[in-house]
Amino acid sequence: MEYRYAIILYLVNQFRGERTISGIYHLLKGKKSSQSIQDSFLFHVEPFFHSCEDLDRRDFKALIDECMSRRWISSPEQDSQRFVLSSEGERVFSRLDGHLLTPEGLNFTEQVNEESRFWLKLQLMVQTLSALLYHQRAFLPITRQPSVTESVRRCIMEASLGRSKLAAYFYRELVYFLQRCPASEAELLTAQLTGYKMSGLTVKQIAELTGKDEYECRILFKSALRRLMREIAEFPNYYPYTGRLLIVKKSALSLSAEETLKLIRSGLSLHEVAKKRRLSQSTVEDHLVEIALKDRTIDMSNYLSDRLEKQILEAASEAKTKQLKPIKKLLLDRASYFQIRLALAKEAVRRGEDPNGTTDE
Amino acid sequence: MGRLMNDHESDLIAQARDILKKKFGYDQFRSGQQQVIQEVLSGHDVFAMMPTGSGKSICYEVPGYLLEGIVLIISPLLSLMEDQVNQLREIGEKNVRALNGLMHPEERSRVLAHLRDIRFLFISPEMLRQHSVLTALSRVKLSLFVVDEAHCVSQWGHDFRPDYLYLAEIRSHLGNPACLAVTATADERVREDIVRSLDLRAVNYVLMSVDRRNIALAVHKVKSSEEKIEELCKLLSKVQLPGIVYCAGRDWTEKIADIIRQKLGLRTAFYHGGMEAVDRRKIQNQFLDGQLDLLCCTNAFGMGINKPDIRLVVHFHFPATMNAYLQEIGRASRDGKQGLAILYYAEQDEHYPLGFIDANFPDDTLLRQVLRELDQGLLKLEKKETFLTSLQDRGASETAARFIFENVRFVTRGMNYSSIFEECRKKITERRSVQLNELSMMKRYLNSTTCRRAFYLSVYNESQSEKLDLCCDQCGLSLEAFERACPQTSDVHPEQTLDWHQRLATIFRESERDI
Repeated sequence: MEYRYAIILYLVNQFRGERTISGIYHLLKGKKSSQSIQDSFLFHVEPFFHSCEDLDRRDFKALIDECMSRRWISSPEQDSQRFVLSSEGERVFSRLDGHLLTPEGLNFTEQVNEESRFWLKLQLMVQTLSALLYHQRAFLPITRQPSVTESVRRCIMEASLGRSKLAAYFYRELVYFLQRCPASEAELLTAQLTGYKMSGLTVKQIAELTGKDEYECRILFKSALRRLMREIAEFPNYYPYTGRLLIVKKSALSLSAEETLKLIRSGLSLHEVAKKRRLSQSTVEDHLVEIALKDRTIDMSNYLSDRLEKQILEAASEAKTKQLKPIKKLLLDRASYFQIRLALAKEAVRRGEDPNGTTDE
Repeated sequence: MGRLMNDHESDLIAQARDILKKKFGYDQFRSGQQQVIQEVLSGHDVFAMMPTGSGKSICYEVPGYLLEGIVLIISPLLSLMEDQVNQLREIGEKNVRALNGLMHPEERSRVLAHLRDIRFLFISPEMLRQHSVLTALSRVKLSLFVVDEAHCVSQWGHDFRPDYLYLAEIRSHLGNPACLAVTATADERVREDIVRSLDLRAVNYVLMSVDRRNIALAVHKVKSSEEKIEELCKLLSKVQLPGIVYCAGRDWTEKIADIIRQKLGLRTAFYHGGMEAVDRRKIQNQFLDGQLDLLCCTNAFGMGINKPDIRLVVHFHFPATMNAYLQEIGRASRDGKQGLAILYYAEQDEHYPLGFIDANFPDDTLLRQVLRELDQGLLKLEKKETFLTSLQDRGASETAARFIFENVRFVTRGMNYSSIFEECRKKITERRSVQLNELSMMKRYLNSTTCRRAFYLSVYNESQSEKLDLCCDQCGLSLEAFERACPQTSDVHPEQTLDWHQRLATIFRESERDI
């Protein structure tokens, strides 16, 4: 079975009809909304968050339609955008090898917020070094994003080396990494790099040339990129130059959530944080849910008592859903949406760490 | 030219020719260039109409090496600016910079802090209105004030840019340096508009023919899209490449690229505005580097593309104006060798340009809704970009959003936004009818039974000087003259290697180092 069908069946199966098809699309695109981030945890599909960032909405829609016409997925309610696997879909899906779906590197999501910028910087750096090596006086840069241009520029200026030396170090570091990367992933990453008289290929072009599935190409590339980022974070000594392009963050929190966390730690209430940062209360709540998902050591008892948390989880399992509205109704509005989301987030983290564990700790 | 040169002038031209040889490697000026340069060097205001591909940048680049001070070039498009900067860098010019909205603030301050070292400064009209930029510029000497794509100043032009309206004021603020206004095509009305709006005085006109004599023209009438594709494949299997195929929509570019790759094995890619910026840039670079034989694209591709050896421009769908058509075929054969422009025409294609024209303006319902929301404070006119985005969220096209913005920005405090509704509608009707006229001109070209070249020259009040051997389908055109020596086959091209080690070694020039 082609990879693109496998990934859709897998994700539809994970989402269990609790989100519309847009939810899957936003997951793959890596939409930076708290909903998408939270979903990736709730349904245990974190590796796929931001895994196909260049996905075109129309292409994705066509793929879904195809899965429907093959009768692999179906909608339980009429005209609904929520899908589940059909019995035929389940049969096909059960024969798939899940390991092939998720290359190892895809799981290294700790720098997911940085990966687009890092990749742009790496491409621009390689292109620039190649131009310098070949004495090319002018070239059309792969990106014009001011912050990317500026940081590559700084990186070249600050390296107190001759430019050909700097290039040689970059080359060595990349070879060192790629040698230890699965060959298909190494190929996908390198084929996209641009150099002198050798413009990089797009993922679509690589898929055509290799006869591989386009979605598989995206995933293999992401796996390679995430491996590289993890390598840099874990063994900075091996990557003194490539490492300059990556700001290794200690937490996977978005910048804004991190700012919120800092203020909360300094003793501000949720309301005070919102006021101070001129954000809406719900945005700050989003941050707290994100924090609960990514750092389980933070105490949330100010917002959610143990007792209420337990009640929420019971209601959720009774209603057999992760949708907020039915849970809230079942609890006769004793919990706010924020509290329900918080409880579900904490639960998702617990289950993610111990997939065989029960609901109760 | 008319008048005789005096000694001083012939001395200047001799120096200019020297620069042309030393810096640019050419022995001779091309027609029109010398006249423009001569007027510019004498300090006159000049209006120059030079067709795409005639080397108009030489006209301010050469004076840049002879005059004292900065040559300031106002350019409306980032891609154009980038290409111009690159061309100068390629001849080894280091003192060239650009200032535009896409730059990092630090980079901008670096440029402003070192203005004195700069010989050529490219700038967007928006940037020129910033106080800090204007102040910095008023402290240095400008040798020449170049307005590129000058037709943008005219409401009657096809590409009106309101920011261009302030250029006269800015020029006077900067001490009235001599002005060179250049455009590829402008009819008489637009020309007058430009000269008036830019406040050009005792202006010298240099009007070159819009004729690209080395591009042969053909219009091919067909019944259906299938027939078009068939004809296109036949054509592409024979004629010289690289080439461009212009299509009316994104889907078409992808579809045609697919068919051609599969049927003919040509190295083909597509390019349109819906692609990620990085992917667009990759494809563009592949085309420029000769890694592609054919590019299927929308009109998003082309501005600022400088590839001299494009041999073929195909229109799979026809554009909305004669002007756009000339602009697009003008990308062929800038090196002066023979090129070919073929247009496939089916009656039903008309709905594409009609659709574009409609999308240029908001419809009544949208216009009324936006004005009302402005009055109610639901929509706010704060940052231009945010405003444009929120209009697009309400269903306006980009051009329609711009249209609304340009009209509501002048509504003063205490005035009712809804009160300008009728005025806007009137403007829309006016501009729309201008565009419909242009479309009908385009259609007349397609249906004309006489010489294509004579027809388009007559649109610009020109007539043909002599008959060409390879003129157009109406004059009799055999495609034999355009056939390629040996048809390309679909072997694997070495630059497409996917072996990562080999590829990386080439990029980093390591393979050579080892030898």
